[in-house]
Amino acid sequence: MSANIRRNLTGIAFVSPWLIGLGLLFAYPFAASLYWSFCRYDLLSPPEFIGTQHYQRLAAEIAAGEGFGRAIWNTGYFALLSVPLSIALGVGLATMLSWKVRGQAVYRTLFFLPSVVPVVASSALWIWLLDPRDGILNRLLESVAAPRQLWFKGATEAMAPPDWFDFGSKDALILMSLWGVGNFMVIYLAAIGDIPEQLYEAAELDGAGRLRRFWHVTIPMLSPVIFFNLVMGMIQSVQAFTQVYIVSEGTGEPAAWSLMLSLHLFLSAFQDLDMGYASAMSWLLFVFLLIATALLFRTSRNWVHYQGAGR
Amino acid sequence: MSLPKPHPLAHTSLVVSAAIFAFPLLWMVLSSLKPSTQLVEDPYAFWPRQWQWSNYVEAVQAMPYLRYLRNTLLLAGGSVVGSVLSCSLVAYGFARVRWRGRNVLFGVLIATMLLPWHVTMIPRFLLLRELGLYNSLAALVVPTFLGDAFYIFLLRQFFLTIPEELSEAGRLDGLGEWGIFCRIIMPLSTPALATVALFQFIASWNDFSGPLLYLSDPDKFPLAYGLEQFVSSYSDQTHLLLAAATLFTLPIVILFFLTQRTFLRGIATTGLKG
Repeated sequence: MSANIRRNLTGIAFVSPWLIGLGLLFAYPFAASLYWSFCRYDLLSPPEFIGTQHYQRLAAEIAAGEGFGRAIWNTGYFALLSVPLSIALGVGLATMLSWKVRGQAVYRTLFFLPSVVPVVASSALWIWLLDPRDGILNRLLESVAAPRQLWFKGATEAMAPPDWFDFGSKDALILMSLWGVGNFMVIYLAAIGDIPEQLYEAAELDGAGRLRRFWHVTIPMLSPVIFFNLVMGMIQSVQAFTQVYIVSEGTGEPAAWSLMLSLHLFLSAFQDLDMGYASAMSWLLFVFLLIATALLFRTSRNWVHYQGAGR
Repeated sequence: MSLPKPHPLAHTSLVVSAAIFAFPLLWMVLSSLKPSTQLVEDPYAFWPRQWQWSNYVEAVQAMPYLRYLRNTLLLAGGSVVGSVLSCSLVAYGFARVRWRGRNVLFGVLIATMLLPWHVTMIPRFLLLRELGLYNSLAALVVPTFLGDAFYIFLLRQFFLTIPEELSEAGRLDGLGEWGIFCRIIMPLSTPALATVALFQFIASWNDFSGPLLYLSDPDKFPLAYGLEQFVSSYSDQTHLLLAAATLFTLPIVILFFLTQRTFLRGIATTGLKG
Protein backbone atom coordinates (compact mmCIF):
# COMPACT_ATOMS: atom_id res chain seq x y z
CA MET A 1 0.00 0.00 0.00
CA SER A 2 2.65 2.49 1.00
CA ALA A 3 4.70 1.34 -1.97
CA ASN A 4 1.70 2.23 -4.09
CA ILE A 5 1.44 5.73 -2.69
CA ARG A 6 5.14 6.15 -3.13
CA ARG A 7 4.91 5.18 -6.76
CA ASN A 8 2.02 7.55 -7.35
CA LEU A 9 3.99 10.37 -5.78
CA THR A 10 7.08 9.50 -7.82
CA GLY A 11 5.06 9.57 -11.03
CA ILE A 12 3.49 12.90 -10.21
CA ALA A 13 6.88 14.31 -9.22
CA PHE A 14 8.27 13.41 -12.64
CA VAL A 15 5.42 15.01 -14.54
CA SER A 16 5.16 18.02 -12.20
CA PRO A 17 6.86 20.51 -14.57
CA TRP A 18 4.19 19.79 -17.13
CA LEU A 19 1.42 19.85 -14.49
CA ILE A 20 2.49 23.37 -13.47
CA GLY A 21 2.54 24.34 -17.13
CA LEU A 22 -0.88 22.79 -17.63
CA GLY A 23 -2.31 24.91 -14.85
CA LEU A 24 -0.56 28.19 -15.62
CA LEU A 25 -0.30 28.12 -19.38
CA PHE A 26 -3.40 26.13 -20.36
CA ALA A 27 -6.08 25.70 -17.71
CA TYR A 28 -6.01 29.23 -16.30
CA PRO A 29 -5.74 30.99 -19.71
CA PHE A 30 -8.44 28.70 -21.05
CA ALA A 31 -10.87 29.65 -18.29
CA ALA A 32 -9.85 33.31 -18.25
CA SER A 33 -10.38 33.78 -21.97
CA LEU A 34 -13.82 32.15 -21.72
CA TYR A 35 -14.77 34.59 -18.96
CA TRP A 36 -13.29 37.61 -20.74
CA SER A 37 -15.22 36.73 -23.87
CA PHE A 38 -18.27 37.95 -21.93
CA CYS A 39 -16.52 41.10 -20.72
CA ARG A 40 -15.47 44.49 -21.94
CA TYR A 41 -11.73 44.47 -21.28
CA ASP A 42 -9.17 46.94 -22.61
CA LEU A 43 -6.33 46.18 -20.14
CA LEU A 44 -6.55 49.70 -18.69
CA SER A 45 -9.56 49.01 -16.49
CA PRO A 46 -10.65 45.67 -14.99
CA PRO A 47 -12.89 43.36 -17.04
CA GLU A 48 -16.54 44.37 -16.96
CA PHE A 49 -19.23 41.76 -17.60
CA ILE A 50 -21.40 42.61 -20.61
CA GLY A 51 -23.01 39.27 -21.46
CA THR A 52 -23.01 37.97 -25.02
CA GLN A 53 -22.41 41.31 -26.75
CA HIS A 54 -19.15 40.21 -28.35
CA TYR A 55 -20.74 37.05 -29.68
CA GLN A 56 -23.62 39.08 -31.12
CA ARG A 57 -21.12 41.36 -32.80
CA LEU A 58 -19.27 38.35 -34.22
CA ALA A 59 -22.54 36.90 -35.52
CA ALA A 60 -23.41 40.21 -37.14
CA GLU A 61 -19.95 40.37 -38.74
CA ILE A 62 -20.36 36.86 -40.11
CA ALA A 63 -23.73 37.84 -41.60
CA ALA A 64 -22.26 40.98 -43.14
CA GLY A 65 -19.07 39.30 -44.33
CA GLU A 66 -16.93 41.96 -42.63
CA GLY A 67 -14.25 41.77 -39.96
CA PHE A 68 -14.59 38.31 -38.43
CA GLY A 69 -16.75 37.16 -41.32
CA ARG A 70 -14.13 38.23 -43.82
CA ALA A 71 -11.41 36.57 -41.75
CA ILE A 72 -13.38 33.30 -41.74
CA TRP A 73 -13.78 33.43 -45.50
CA ASN A 74 -10.09 34.19 -46.01
CA THR A 75 -8.98 31.42 -43.67
CA GLY A 76 -11.45 28.95 -45.19
CA TYR A 77 -10.28 29.76 -48.70
CA PHE A 78 -6.67 29.29 -47.65
CA ALA A 79 -7.28 26.06 -45.72
CA LEU A 80 -9.62 24.42 -48.24
CA LEU A 81 -7.12 24.92 -51.04
CA SER A 82 -3.76 24.58 -49.32
CA VAL A 83 -4.52 21.41 -47.33
CA PRO A 84 -5.81 19.19 -50.19
CA LEU A 85 -3.15 20.54 -52.54
CA SER A 86 -0.40 19.88 -50.01
CA ILE A 87 -1.68 16.31 -49.54
CA ALA A 88 -1.69 15.71 -53.28
CA LEU A 89 1.74 17.25 -53.69
CA GLY A 90 3.19 15.48 -50.65
CA VAL A 91 1.94 12.07 -51.80
CA GLY A 92 3.05 12.81 -55.35
CA LEU A 93 6.58 13.83 -54.41
CA ALA A 94 6.96 10.93 -51.97
CA THR A 95 5.79 8.49 -54.64
CA MET A 96 8.31 9.90 -57.08
CA LEU A 97 11.04 9.59 -54.45
CA SER A 98 10.13 5.96 -53.85
CA TRP A 99 11.04 5.07 -57.41
CA LYS A 100 14.42 3.47 -57.66
CA VAL A 101 16.32 6.06 -59.57
CA ARG A 102 19.85 7.27 -59.23
CA GLY A 103 20.38 10.33 -57.06
CA GLN A 104 17.28 9.72 -54.96
CA ALA A 105 18.91 11.26 -51.87
CA VAL A 106 19.68 14.45 -53.79
CA TYR A 107 16.09 14.86 -54.97
CA ARG A 108 14.80 14.17 -51.47
CA THR A 109 17.06 16.88 -50.08
CA LEU A 110 15.97 19.38 -52.73
CA PHE A 111 12.28 18.74 -52.06
CA PHE A 112 12.75 18.92 -48.33
CA LEU A 113 15.09 21.90 -48.06
CA PRO A 114 12.43 24.62 -48.54
CA SER A 115 10.56 23.37 -45.48
CA VAL A 116 13.51 24.16 -43.21
CA VAL A 117 13.76 27.75 -44.43
CA PRO A 118 12.59 29.99 -41.56
CA VAL A 119 9.17 31.51 -42.25
CA VAL A 120 10.50 35.05 -41.87
CA ALA A 121 13.10 34.38 -44.57
CA SER A 122 10.77 32.50 -46.91
CA SER A 123 8.19 35.27 -46.61
CA ALA A 124 10.78 37.89 -47.56
CA LEU A 125 11.93 35.65 -50.39
CA TRP A 126 8.44 35.12 -51.80
CA ILE A 127 7.51 38.78 -51.52
CA TRP A 128 10.43 39.40 -53.84
CA LEU A 129 9.83 36.43 -56.18
CA LEU A 130 6.19 37.46 -56.53
CA ASP A 131 6.73 41.18 -56.86
CA PRO A 132 4.11 42.34 -59.38
CA ARG A 133 6.57 44.55 -61.24
CA ASP A 134 10.05 43.01 -60.99
CA GLY A 135 9.34 39.52 -59.68
CA ILE A 136 10.80 36.57 -61.51
CA LEU A 137 7.56 34.60 -61.55
CA ASN A 138 5.65 37.29 -63.41
CA ARG A 139 8.53 37.47 -65.80
CA LEU A 140 8.29 33.71 -66.40
CA LEU A 141 4.53 33.99 -66.88
CA GLU A 142 5.09 36.72 -69.40
CA SER A 143 7.57 34.61 -71.31
CA VAL A 144 4.88 31.96 -71.86
CA ALA A 145 2.37 34.67 -72.82
CA ALA A 146 0.41 34.28 -69.57
CA PRO A 147 -0.95 37.40 -67.86
CA ARG A 148 1.05 38.97 -65.03
CA GLN A 149 -0.43 38.60 -61.54
CA LEU A 150 -0.67 40.92 -58.55
CA TRP A 151 0.10 38.15 -56.02
CA PHE A 152 0.54 39.61 -52.51
CA LYS A 153 -0.72 42.98 -53.71
CA GLY A 154 -3.89 41.58 -55.26
CA ALA A 155 -7.35 41.69 -53.71
CA THR A 156 -8.53 38.76 -55.83
CA GLU A 157 -9.09 35.04 -55.47
CA ALA A 158 -7.98 32.86 -58.36
CA MET A 159 -10.12 29.89 -57.38
CA ALA A 160 -13.39 31.70 -56.75
CA PRO A 161 -15.71 33.90 -58.79
CA PRO A 162 -15.69 36.62 -59.93
CA ASP A 163 -11.96 36.81 -60.62
CA TRP A 164 -11.07 33.31 -61.79
CA PHE A 165 -7.33 32.94 -62.36
CA ASP A 166 -6.46 36.39 -61.07
CA PHE A 167 -3.95 35.32 -58.45
CA GLY A 168 -4.16 37.46 -55.34
CA SER A 169 -2.64 37.57 -51.87
CA LYS A 170 -4.15 34.34 -50.56
CA ASP A 171 -3.20 32.43 -53.69
CA ALA A 172 0.36 33.63 -53.17
CA LEU A 173 0.24 32.38 -49.56
CA ILE A 174 -1.02 29.00 -50.80
CA LEU A 175 1.81 28.79 -53.29
CA MET A 176 4.27 29.59 -50.52
CA SER A 177 2.81 26.90 -48.25
CA LEU A 178 3.05 24.30 -51.02
CA TRP A 179 6.72 25.09 -51.43
CA GLY A 180 7.21 24.05 -47.80
CA VAL A 181 5.42 20.69 -48.16
CA GLY A 182 8.64 18.79 -47.37
CA ASN A 183 7.70 17.94 -43.79
CA PHE A 184 4.65 15.96 -44.78
CA MET A 185 6.49 14.51 -47.75
CA VAL A 186 9.05 12.95 -45.42
CA ILE A 187 6.27 11.33 -43.43
CA TYR A 188 4.67 9.94 -46.59
CA LEU A 189 8.02 8.67 -47.76
CA ALA A 190 8.58 6.76 -44.52
CA ALA A 191 5.06 5.33 -44.74
CA ILE A 192 5.58 4.20 -48.33
CA GLY A 193 8.73 2.43 -47.21
CA ASP A 194 6.64 0.50 -44.66
CA ILE A 195 4.18 -0.87 -47.24
CA PRO A 196 4.76 -4.65 -47.51
CA GLU A 197 6.08 -5.67 -50.88
CA GLN A 198 3.68 -8.63 -51.05
CA LEU A 199 0.78 -6.25 -51.49
CA TYR A 200 2.23 -4.91 -54.71
CA GLU A 201 3.15 -8.39 -55.88
CA ALA A 202 -0.36 -9.68 -55.19
CA ALA A 203 -1.88 -6.72 -57.02
CA GLU A 204 0.42 -7.30 -59.94
CA LEU A 205 -0.55 -10.98 -60.09
CA ASP A 206 -4.17 -9.89 -60.20
CA GLY A 207 -3.29 -7.89 -63.27
CA ALA A 208 -3.32 -4.43 -61.69
CA GLY A 209 -1.37 -1.89 -63.69
CA ARG A 210 0.78 0.92 -62.33
CA LEU A 211 -2.10 3.30 -61.75
CA ARG A 212 -4.37 0.73 -60.11
CA ARG A 213 -1.60 -0.38 -57.80
CA PHE A 214 -1.18 3.25 -56.77
CA TRP A 215 -4.92 3.74 -56.13
CA HIS A 216 -5.65 0.38 -54.53
CA VAL A 217 -2.43 -0.28 -52.62
CA THR A 218 -0.42 2.88 -52.03
CA ILE A 219 -3.27 5.27 -51.27
CA PRO A 220 -5.17 3.00 -48.82
CA MET A 221 -1.90 2.13 -47.09
CA LEU A 222 -1.08 5.83 -46.78
CA SER A 223 -4.54 6.75 -45.53
CA PRO A 224 -3.51 7.02 -41.83
CA VAL A 225 -0.84 9.54 -42.81
CA ILE A 226 -3.21 11.37 -45.13
CA PHE A 227 -5.61 11.61 -42.23
CA PHE A 228 -2.87 12.93 -39.96
CA ASN A 229 -1.92 15.46 -42.64
CA LEU A 230 -5.54 16.51 -42.98
CA VAL A 231 -6.01 17.15 -39.25
CA MET A 232 -2.62 18.84 -38.72
CA GLY A 233 -2.91 20.79 -41.97
CA MET A 234 -6.30 22.12 -40.95
CA ILE A 235 -5.07 23.17 -37.52
CA GLN A 236 -1.92 24.72 -38.94
CA SER A 237 -3.65 26.67 -41.68
CA VAL A 238 -6.29 28.03 -39.32
CA GLN A 239 -3.44 29.19 -37.08
CA ALA A 240 -1.25 30.55 -39.89
CA PHE A 241 0.14 33.81 -38.59
CA THR A 242 3.77 34.70 -39.22
CA GLN A 243 3.70 34.58 -43.03
CA VAL A 244 0.36 36.41 -43.12
CA TYR A 245 1.70 39.11 -40.81
CA ILE A 246 4.90 39.62 -42.78
CA VAL A 247 3.52 39.62 -46.33
CA SER A 248 0.82 42.12 -45.34
CA GLU A 249 3.16 44.11 -43.07
CA GLY A 250 0.91 43.33 -40.13
CA THR A 251 -2.23 44.77 -41.70
CA GLY A 252 -4.04 41.99 -43.58
CA GLU A 253 -4.03 44.27 -46.61
CA PRO A 254 -4.70 44.56 -49.51
CA ALA A 255 -8.30 45.41 -48.72
CA ALA A 256 -8.42 42.89 -45.85
CA TRP A 257 -7.96 40.18 -48.48
CA SER A 258 -5.30 38.41 -46.43
CA LEU A 259 -6.79 39.16 -43.04
CA MET A 260 -6.75 35.63 -41.63
CA LEU A 261 -8.35 34.67 -38.35
CA SER A 262 -5.12 34.63 -36.36
CA LEU A 263 -4.06 38.05 -37.62
CA HIS A 264 -7.50 39.53 -37.03
CA LEU A 265 -7.42 38.13 -33.51
CA PHE A 266 -3.94 39.48 -32.88
CA LEU A 267 -4.82 42.94 -34.16
CA SER A 268 -8.07 43.08 -32.18
CA ALA A 269 -6.23 42.15 -29.00
CA PHE A 270 -2.95 44.00 -29.26
CA GLN A 271 -3.72 46.90 -31.54
CA ASP A 272 -7.33 47.72 -30.65
CA LEU A 273 -6.87 46.41 -27.08
CA ASP A 274 -10.26 44.75 -27.39
CA MET A 275 -9.41 41.69 -25.30
CA GLY A 276 -13.02 40.64 -24.80
CA TYR A 277 -13.86 40.62 -28.50
CA ALA A 278 -10.61 38.78 -29.28
CA SER A 279 -11.29 36.22 -26.57
CA ALA A 280 -14.77 35.56 -27.92
CA MET A 281 -13.26 35.08 -31.35
CA SER A 282 -10.66 32.66 -30.03
CA TRP A 283 -13.37 30.61 -28.38
CA LEU A 284 -15.48 30.42 -31.51
CA LEU A 285 -12.37 29.36 -33.36
CA PHE A 286 -11.65 26.70 -30.76
CA VAL A 287 -15.19 25.31 -30.88
CA PHE A 288 -15.07 25.28 -34.66
CA LEU A 289 -11.78 23.38 -34.69
CA LEU A 290 -13.13 20.93 -32.14
CA ILE A 291 -16.19 20.20 -34.27
CA ALA A 292 -14.18 19.97 -37.47
CA THR A 293 -11.66 17.59 -35.87
CA ALA A 294 -14.46 15.45 -34.45
CA LEU A 295 -16.16 15.28 -37.86
CA LEU A 296 -12.88 14.30 -39.50
CA PHE A 297 -12.37 11.53 -36.96
CA ARG A 298 -15.92 10.32 -37.56
CA THR A 299 -15.58 10.15 -41.34
CA SER A 300 -12.10 8.62 -40.98
CA ARG A 301 -13.68 5.27 -40.05
CA ASN A 302 -14.89 4.99 -43.61
CA TRP A 303 -11.68 5.66 -45.43
CA VAL A 304 -8.67 5.31 -43.12
CA HIS A 305 -7.21 1.80 -43.06
CA TYR A 306 -5.15 0.94 -40.03
CA GLN A 307 -2.89 -2.02 -40.39
CA GLY A 308 -2.95 -4.66 -37.66
CA ALA A 309 -4.09 -4.08 -34.11
CA GLY A 310 -0.92 -2.44 -32.84
CA ARG A 311 -1.99 1.12 -33.39
CA MET B 1 11.49 -2.20 -49.08
CA SER B 2 10.55 -2.76 -52.63
CA LEU B 3 8.46 -0.50 -54.74
CA PRO B 4 6.82 -0.31 -58.12
CA LYS B 5 9.33 0.02 -60.92
CA PRO B 6 9.72 3.56 -62.17
CA HIS B 7 8.01 4.82 -65.25
CA PRO B 8 10.33 5.74 -68.14
CA LEU B 9 9.55 9.38 -67.51
CA ALA B 10 10.40 9.08 -63.81
CA HIS B 11 13.76 10.69 -64.05
CA THR B 12 12.54 13.61 -66.10
CA SER B 13 9.66 14.38 -63.78
CA LEU B 14 11.98 14.19 -60.77
CA VAL B 15 14.49 16.54 -62.32
CA VAL B 16 11.81 19.05 -63.30
CA SER B 17 10.14 19.04 -59.88
CA ALA B 18 13.45 19.25 -58.06
CA ALA B 19 14.43 22.21 -60.20
CA ILE B 20 11.17 23.99 -59.37
CA PHE B 21 11.64 23.39 -55.63
CA ALA B 22 15.27 24.41 -55.62
CA PHE B 23 14.95 27.45 -57.83
CA PRO B 24 13.67 30.01 -55.27
CA LEU B 25 16.58 29.35 -52.91
CA LEU B 26 19.13 29.27 -55.70
CA TRP B 27 17.74 32.50 -57.10
CA MET B 28 17.87 34.10 -53.66
CA VAL B 29 21.51 33.18 -53.09
CA LEU B 30 22.62 34.19 -56.59
CA SER B 31 20.79 37.49 -56.44
CA SER B 32 22.13 38.24 -52.97
CA LEU B 33 25.56 38.31 -54.59
CA LYS B 34 24.64 40.68 -57.42
CA PRO B 35 25.59 44.36 -57.38
CA SER B 36 22.60 46.53 -56.52
CA THR B 37 22.81 48.21 -59.91
CA GLN B 38 22.40 44.88 -61.68
CA LEU B 39 19.28 44.09 -59.65
CA VAL B 40 17.75 47.32 -60.88
CA GLU B 41 18.93 47.33 -64.49
CA ASP B 42 18.89 43.65 -65.33
CA PRO B 43 17.14 41.73 -62.54
CA TYR B 44 16.59 38.55 -64.56
CA ALA B 45 20.19 37.81 -65.51
CA PHE B 46 21.10 34.47 -64.01
CA TRP B 47 24.70 35.05 -62.96
CA PRO B 48 25.93 38.02 -60.97
CA ARG B 49 27.80 40.53 -63.11
CA GLN B 50 30.40 40.37 -60.38
CA TRP B 51 30.32 38.44 -57.12
CA GLN B 52 29.45 41.17 -54.66
CA TRP B 53 30.36 39.58 -51.31
CA SER B 54 30.29 43.02 -49.75
CA ASN B 55 26.47 42.84 -49.80
CA TYR B 56 26.78 40.57 -46.79
CA VAL B 57 29.07 42.93 -44.95
CA GLU B 58 26.71 45.80 -45.69
CA ALA B 59 23.65 43.83 -44.56
CA VAL B 60 25.31 42.89 -41.29
CA GLN B 61 26.31 46.49 -40.70
CA ALA B 62 22.88 47.85 -41.59
CA MET B 63 21.41 46.23 -38.48
CA PRO B 64 22.76 45.33 -35.05
CA TYR B 65 23.42 41.85 -36.36
CA LEU B 66 25.69 40.61 -33.61
CA ARG B 67 23.31 41.76 -30.94
CA TYR B 68 20.40 40.03 -32.67
CA LEU B 69 22.50 36.90 -33.05
CA ARG B 70 23.46 36.98 -29.39
CA ASN B 71 19.81 37.31 -28.39
CA THR B 72 18.82 34.45 -30.68
CA LEU B 73 21.53 32.21 -29.23
CA LEU B 74 20.50 33.08 -25.68
CA LEU B 75 16.90 32.37 -26.53
CA ALA B 76 17.62 29.14 -28.38
CA GLY B 77 20.19 27.92 -25.84
CA GLY B 78 17.91 28.53 -22.87
CA SER B 79 14.95 26.96 -24.62
CA VAL B 80 16.91 23.85 -25.60
CA VAL B 81 18.05 23.33 -22.01
CA GLY B 82 14.51 23.93 -20.77
CA SER B 83 12.86 21.60 -23.23
CA VAL B 84 15.30 18.74 -22.91
CA LEU B 85 15.26 18.85 -19.10
CA SER B 86 11.55 19.25 -18.54
CA CYS B 87 10.31 17.04 -21.37
CA SER B 88 12.57 14.11 -20.52
CA LEU B 89 11.46 14.20 -16.87
CA VAL B 90 7.80 14.32 -17.81
CA ALA B 91 8.17 11.69 -20.51
CA TYR B 92 9.82 9.38 -17.98
CA GLY B 93 6.89 9.86 -15.65
CA PHE B 94 4.47 8.93 -18.42
CA ALA B 95 6.48 6.08 -19.91
CA ARG B 96 8.25 4.28 -17.08
CA VAL B 97 6.44 4.92 -13.79
CA ARG B 98 3.04 3.31 -13.15
CA TRP B 99 0.76 5.61 -11.21
CA ARG B 100 -2.91 6.37 -10.89
CA GLY B 101 -4.24 8.87 -13.38
CA ARG B 102 -1.31 8.46 -15.72
CA ASN B 103 -3.38 7.52 -18.74
CA VAL B 104 -5.99 10.21 -18.13
CA LEU B 105 -3.33 12.90 -17.87
CA PHE B 106 -1.58 11.59 -20.94
CA GLY B 107 -4.86 12.01 -22.80
CA VAL B 108 -5.00 15.61 -21.56
CA LEU B 109 -1.45 16.11 -22.82
CA ILE B 110 -2.43 14.91 -26.29
CA ALA B 111 -5.51 17.14 -26.22
CA THR B 112 -3.39 20.23 -25.52
CA MET B 113 -1.61 19.60 -28.83
CA LEU B 114 -4.87 20.18 -30.65
CA LEU B 115 -5.63 23.38 -28.76
CA PRO B 116 -5.11 26.44 -30.95
CA TRP B 117 -2.66 28.88 -29.41
CA HIS B 118 -5.13 31.75 -29.82
CA VAL B 119 -7.31 30.51 -27.02
CA THR B 120 -4.56 30.82 -24.44
CA MET B 121 -2.62 33.68 -26.05
CA ILE B 122 -4.16 36.69 -24.31
CA PRO B 123 -4.35 35.43 -20.70
CA ARG B 124 -0.93 33.83 -21.06
CA PHE B 125 0.47 37.15 -22.22
CA LEU B 126 -1.12 39.01 -19.31
CA LEU B 127 0.04 36.38 -16.83
CA LEU B 128 3.65 36.52 -17.98
CA ARG B 129 3.43 40.31 -17.92
CA GLU B 130 2.17 40.17 -14.34
CA LEU B 131 5.17 38.01 -13.50
CA GLY B 132 7.39 40.83 -14.76
CA LEU B 133 8.56 38.94 -17.83
CA TYR B 134 7.30 41.40 -20.44
CA ASN B 135 10.08 42.73 -22.63
CA SER B 136 12.41 40.00 -21.51
CA LEU B 137 13.71 36.94 -23.33
CA ALA B 138 12.74 35.04 -20.19
CA ALA B 139 9.09 35.31 -21.27
CA LEU B 140 9.99 33.02 -24.15
CA VAL B 141 12.42 30.77 -22.29
CA VAL B 142 10.63 30.13 -18.98
CA PRO B 143 7.65 28.29 -20.54
CA THR B 144 10.03 25.77 -22.14
CA PHE B 145 10.93 24.60 -18.62
CA LEU B 146 7.31 23.56 -18.19
CA GLY B 147 7.33 20.99 -20.96
CA ASP B 148 5.96 20.82 -24.46
CA ALA B 149 3.34 18.23 -25.40
CA PHE B 150 4.91 17.40 -28.75
CA TYR B 151 8.41 16.74 -27.36
CA ILE B 152 7.05 14.88 -24.34
CA PHE B 153 5.12 12.63 -26.70
CA LEU B 154 8.20 12.05 -28.83
CA LEU B 155 10.40 11.17 -25.85
CA ARG B 156 7.74 8.98 -24.25
CA GLN B 157 7.49 6.90 -27.42
CA PHE B 158 11.24 6.47 -27.33
CA PHE B 159 11.42 5.60 -23.63
CA LEU B 160 8.75 2.93 -24.17
CA THR B 161 11.07 1.08 -26.53
CA ILE B 162 13.78 0.65 -23.85
CA PRO B 163 13.44 -2.88 -22.34
CA GLU B 164 11.96 -2.95 -18.84
CA GLU B 165 14.63 -5.50 -17.82
CA LEU B 166 17.21 -2.70 -17.81
CA SER B 167 15.19 -0.80 -15.21
CA GLU B 168 14.75 -4.03 -13.22
CA ALA B 169 18.49 -4.57 -13.24
CA GLY B 170 18.93 -1.03 -11.97
CA ARG B 171 16.44 -1.65 -9.18
CA LEU B 172 18.31 -4.78 -8.13
CA ASP B 173 21.43 -2.67 -7.93
CA GLY B 174 19.58 -0.39 -5.53
CA LEU B 175 18.74 2.47 -7.87
CA GLY B 176 15.56 4.43 -7.35
CA GLU B 177 13.47 5.89 -10.17
CA TRP B 178 15.65 9.00 -10.22
CA GLY B 179 18.79 6.89 -10.48
CA ILE B 180 17.28 4.78 -13.26
CA PHE B 181 16.28 7.95 -15.09
CA CYS B 182 19.73 9.53 -14.84
CA ARG B 183 21.97 6.52 -15.20
CA ILE B 184 20.07 4.16 -17.49
CA ILE B 185 17.33 5.85 -19.50
CA MET B 186 18.95 9.19 -20.31
CA PRO B 187 22.26 7.76 -21.59
CA LEU B 188 20.34 5.35 -23.84
CA SER B 189 18.14 8.11 -25.22
CA THR B 190 20.65 10.45 -26.80
CA PRO B 191 19.13 10.08 -30.31
CA ALA B 192 15.69 11.13 -29.09
CA LEU B 193 17.12 13.88 -26.87
CA ALA B 194 19.10 15.15 -29.85
CA THR B 195 15.90 15.31 -31.89
CA VAL B 196 14.19 17.39 -29.22
CA ALA B 197 17.20 19.69 -28.88
CA LEU B 198 17.39 20.11 -32.65
CA PHE B 199 13.69 20.83 -33.10
CA GLN B 200 13.61 23.27 -30.19
CA PHE B 201 16.69 25.08 -31.45
CA ILE B 202 15.10 25.53 -34.86
CA ALA B 203 11.77 26.55 -33.35
CA SER B 204 13.48 29.24 -31.26
CA TRP B 205 15.65 30.38 -34.14
CA ASN B 206 12.54 30.80 -36.32
CA ASP B 207 10.10 32.10 -33.73
CA PHE B 208 8.54 35.35 -34.79
CA SER B 209 5.20 35.63 -33.00
CA GLY B 210 6.79 35.17 -29.56
CA PRO B 211 9.16 38.15 -29.87
CA LEU B 212 6.45 40.18 -31.62
CA LEU B 213 4.20 39.67 -28.64
CA TYR B 214 6.63 39.87 -25.74
CA LEU B 215 9.53 42.11 -26.75
CA SER B 216 9.40 45.85 -27.27
CA ASP B 217 13.01 46.88 -26.76
CA PRO B 218 15.08 46.58 -29.99
CA ASP B 219 18.12 45.67 -27.89
CA LYS B 220 16.41 42.41 -27.04
CA PHE B 221 15.20 41.40 -30.49
CA PRO B 222 16.34 38.04 -31.80
CA LEU B 223 17.32 37.63 -35.45
CA ALA B 224 13.91 36.49 -36.71
CA TYR B 225 12.23 39.62 -35.43
CA GLY B 226 15.14 41.87 -36.34
CA LEU B 227 15.08 40.50 -39.86
CA GLU B 228 11.40 41.28 -40.22
CA GLN B 229 12.06 44.87 -39.16
CA PHE B 230 14.88 44.97 -41.67
CA VAL B 231 12.64 43.57 -44.42
CA SER B 232 10.03 46.24 -43.89
CA SER B 233 12.48 49.15 -43.70
CA TYR B 234 14.88 48.08 -46.48
CA SER B 235 12.31 46.85 -48.98
CA ASP B 236 13.91 48.88 -51.76
CA GLN B 237 17.43 47.59 -51.05
CA THR B 238 16.91 44.15 -52.54
CA HIS B 239 20.57 43.14 -52.45
CA LEU B 240 20.83 43.77 -48.70
CA LEU B 241 17.48 42.20 -48.00
CA LEU B 242 18.38 38.99 -49.82
CA ALA B 243 21.80 38.86 -48.20
CA ALA B 244 20.19 39.22 -44.78
CA ALA B 245 17.60 36.54 -45.54
CA THR B 246 20.29 34.18 -46.82
CA LEU B 247 22.42 34.81 -43.77
CA PHE B 248 19.45 34.00 -41.54
CA THR B 249 18.61 30.80 -43.42
CA LEU B 250 22.13 29.46 -43.85
CA PRO B 251 22.75 28.21 -40.27
CA ILE B 252 19.52 26.21 -40.35
CA VAL B 253 20.39 24.68 -43.70
CA ILE B 254 23.87 23.77 -42.45
CA LEU B 255 22.33 22.32 -39.30
CA PHE B 256 20.00 20.26 -41.45
CA PHE B 257 22.87 18.82 -43.47
CA LEU B 258 24.87 18.02 -40.34
CA THR B 259 21.97 16.28 -38.64
CA GLN B 260 20.01 14.94 -41.59
CA ARG B 261 19.31 11.50 -40.12
CA THR B 262 18.16 12.78 -36.73
CA PHE B 263 16.13 15.40 -38.49
CA LEU B 264 14.27 13.20 -40.96
CA ARG B 265 13.77 10.36 -38.48
CA GLY B 266 12.30 12.79 -35.97
CA ILE B 267 9.76 14.06 -38.46
CA ALA B 268 8.90 10.61 -39.75
CA THR B 269 8.34 9.03 -36.32
CA THR B 270 6.25 11.82 -34.86
CA GLY B 271 4.09 11.82 -37.96
CA LEU B 272 3.61 8.11 -38.15
CA LYS B 273 2.90 7.63 -34.49
CA GLY B 274 0.67 10.65 -34.28
